[in-house]
Order: sequence, then C-alpha cells, then structure tokens
Amino acid sequence: MLRSCAARLRTLGVLRGLPAGRRAPGSEPRPALRSFSSEEVFPKDYSVPNPSWNKDLRLLFDQFTKKCEDGSWKRLSSYKRESAAMMKDFKTHFLDPEHMKEEQISQAQLFTRSFDEGLGFEYVMFYNDVEKRMVCLFQGGPYLEGAPGCLHGGAIATMVDVTLGTCAMIAGGIVMTANLNINYKRPVPLCSVVVINSQLDKVEGRKFFVSCNVQSVDEKTLYSEATVINHEMAKLDLVTQGEGNTVL
Amino acid sequence: MIRRGFQVVARLGHHRELLGAPRILPRLNPASAFGSSTDSLVSRFCSEKTDLKDYALPNASWCSDMLSLYQEFLEKTKSSGWVKLPSYKSNRDHIRGFKLPSGLEVSSGKGDWRIFTRCIQVDGQGYEYVIFFHPPKKSVCLFQPGPYLEGPPGFAHGGSLAALMDEAFSKIAYLAGQGLLTQSLNIRFKNLIPVGSLVVMDIEVEKIEDQKIYMSCIAQSRDQKTVYAKSSGVFLQLQLEELSSQ
Repeated sequence: MLRSCAARLRTLGVLRGLPAGRRAPGSEPRPALRSFSSEEVFPKDYSVPNPSWNKDLRLLFDQFTKKCEDGSWKRLSSYKRESAAMMKDFKTHFLDPEHMKEEQISQAQLFTRSFDEGLGFEYVMFYNDVEKRMVCLFQGGPYLEGAPGCLHGGAIATMVDVTLGTCAMIAGGIVMTANLNINYKRPVPLCSVVVINSQLDKVEGRKFFVSCNVQSVDEKTLYSEATVINHEMAKLDLVTQGEGNTVL
Repeated sequence: MIRRGFQVVARLGHHRELLGAPRILPRLNPASAFGSSTDSLVSRFCSEKTDLKDYALPNASWCSDMLSLYQEFLEKTKSSGWVKLPSYKSNRDHIRGFKLPSGLEVSSGKGDWRIFTRCIQVDGQGYEYVIFFHPPKKSVCLFQPGPYLEGPPGFAHGGSLAALMDEAFSKIAYLAGQGLLTQSLNIRFKNLIPVGSLVVMDIEVEKIEDQKIYMSCIAQSRDQKTVYAKSSGVFLQLQLEELSSQ
C-alpha cells in the first residue's frame, strides 16, 4: 500500500497537462497570472520565497538557485492539492473505492501545505540527479512547536519523511515509506532554518535506502540523522517538457 | 550534552506552598519509589482547576467508533485507575510554573505558539486525539486524522502519524519518568490510514534505564484486523526547572 506517494507527486509537480506558468530552474519567478487563471489551472507553487521566509532561508534559496544554473541541480515545485490527472492515476492503480469519501477528498489538502504563510512548514527542495541527493531547506513556524521554543519532533519526522521519500521517488517510482528511523541529537529552535541533506544510499530490488542529516545553516550543529526504507510500488512515468524544466 | 548534569529538582509540593495555591488533588499514597513520582506528575498534569481549553474532548467531527471507545475509557477513569490527559493548545500551558533547563531554552515571550498536534483548530480538519494513561506503564491514544493531514488522496500523511506517535510518547514519557526530549523514533509502516477513521494506539513503557524512557506503540484499527504501524521511541529524562517568580 502507498505511504506518502501522492504527497510527493504533488511536491514534484508531476502533471500531465503542465500549466504554462512553469519556468526553467534558476530563473526569476514570473508574477502570478491573475486575470484569466484560477487556482485549478495555474496552481500556486509554494516552494518560492514569501514574506515569512527569514534571511537564512532566502540566502540558501539564492545559493541553491544559482547551483541550478548549470542544470546539475533542479528546484522542485510544490502544490497544495492534487492535479486532476494525478488523482486519476492514483485512483486507478492504488485505491480501494470503499475508502473514498467524496466530501473529504474535496476538502483535503497536502498536510505540509495546510498552513498560512510562515505559521507551519516553509520549505523548498532541490535535487541533484547525478549525485542522487535531495536538499530540503526548511523553516518551521510557531504552529509546529514541541517543547517550548523548540520544533516538534513530529514536525521534523514529517519533513524527513517528505524529503527522503521524494529523493527515493525521483530515483525510482511511486514509493511507500516502510520504515522511518530518526535519531535526535539536539533540539531545533523554532522558526530557525535547517538543511536536510539526503541521498539515496542503495537500491536492493524494490527497496530504496535513503539517509539524511539535519543541520543548521552554518553546518556547525547536527540536529538529527535519519534513515528511511522505501518500497517501490510502481514505476513513475517521467514527463519532461523542453530543456531544463523542473518537471518529473 | 545538555541532558547530563542537571540537578535542579522540580519540587512540586514546595512550589505550591510558595505560591500559597490550594492543593488541587489529595496527596496520593506513594506505592513505591517510582509510583509516587508518577502519581504527583499525573496529579499536577491533570489538574482540573484551569481556564485553559481542553482539546481532548469529543466534538461533532468524532466518528462513532471514536466516541464509543472514548466513553468506554471514560468509564474506566472512574474506577480502574485510568486517567484522561488534558490537551492544551501549547506545551507552554502544560508546564506553567516551569521552564526547560537553562541551556535548552531557546525563545520566550508572547506569541501565537501552538503545539504541532493542535496546530489545526477547526474541528475535525486536523488531529483529533485523546490520550488515556494507566500509570505506571500503559496508555491508549485514540486518533482520528482529518482531511488537512492528507498524504495520498483519502489517506493520512505518514508524517502525521509519526508526529502523533512522537507526541503521545512525549506525554507518557513525561508522566512515567519526566521524559522531555525525543532521542529516537523508529516507525514501521504497514498500512495506510483512511482519513476520518479511528486509529487506536496502544503504548507501553518498556523500561526506564540510564535516564532514558523506552516505549513501544502499535497503531491499529478498532477491530485490530488492520495494523497501521508499529513504533518505538526513546526519550531523555530531563527535569524541568521551577520558574523563580510567577
């Protein structure tokens, strides 16, 4: 059965009919089209700076965006909801109709994008295809608190699951998290930025072994380390559009 | 590491006397050296005299399974040694009068902080859960994930279950042995959880050793026919410091 596969599909922005608003990595974001577009046709990409992003997050975003210029790194788009095409695919392959409830599907939104700006998860992921590395820049807001002043261990677990799962997914196909193991070393201050460095360690048949460390921006503090084992459920049909577009 | 060498002891009884606050619950007879510690932690944690809103109470979004199981456990709190844990909007509310040991405290002051598992406050949209504790070792958490916790369409995000396991572990670790911070979390996922369905999490304190609390959890459907996940967690014992003036 699937874990967070469609969540990652959304994160990766796998779309059959790509909105015209897509842009090549490394370029400046185009202003959102307003007059003729609706959220459905041109879904908002949440993995771009907004006013809640602090200085550290913006700096790192710029650094990684620069790395995208030669094509070695790619920025991943991230949306709030499934595209109609992705939903259909998921339903066809994996769903048990018994579990589908219409009204809940229409209300649903991706967990990590369920918050107003700055209050929850602010993050962006960059991928290096050659090195099979996924870097997630993550700023956890005040609604993700655990011990006072600290980021909740469960919020860290969520981002580790998303990052490592996406890393496996790009290398493989639709994956399910089978095992998640996290060692916490130091508490993460709330509203600070952490860098989740992950890479695909090995593939054994349909099992993908991914590991990561979670560090401070200056790399001086190691907050946690984690490993995830993902099971590949199905191959993903990768769609590319033109040269250098961030599409999977 | 920070966790070593903290000798400040939170002396609950002394603290109350200092403030002149009335004793809220009758003093419990210490059953054993560990028993009394847990009892006093529980009595303070579950104090009824508070104006804080308790989110671990039924609302219209709770499915019938969750409501009926809740009633069953509520009955058990009357006679069988079970306790229902309150759940406030922020951990800062839970530890009023105390703070993290110095060196760990990273930010303070006013702000709209929310404990992660109470981040979405619209009934039924996010985490609906309640924890029942049977000192010194057993606990049951009833969890119903809402549509905002979605991962794959119609199912809860793996991270949301991980977060609730971490949260439930943290409360039990605190009451069982003043566990404070997560040291490790290991989750084996088995099946997806449909959004809006009930997850019953059975949590057990396996042991307390070397200032660490070891716990395990099985999350399954009410009829136990579907196991959603199994996990284990280790928490570090750390004593809260009393606030010097409050």
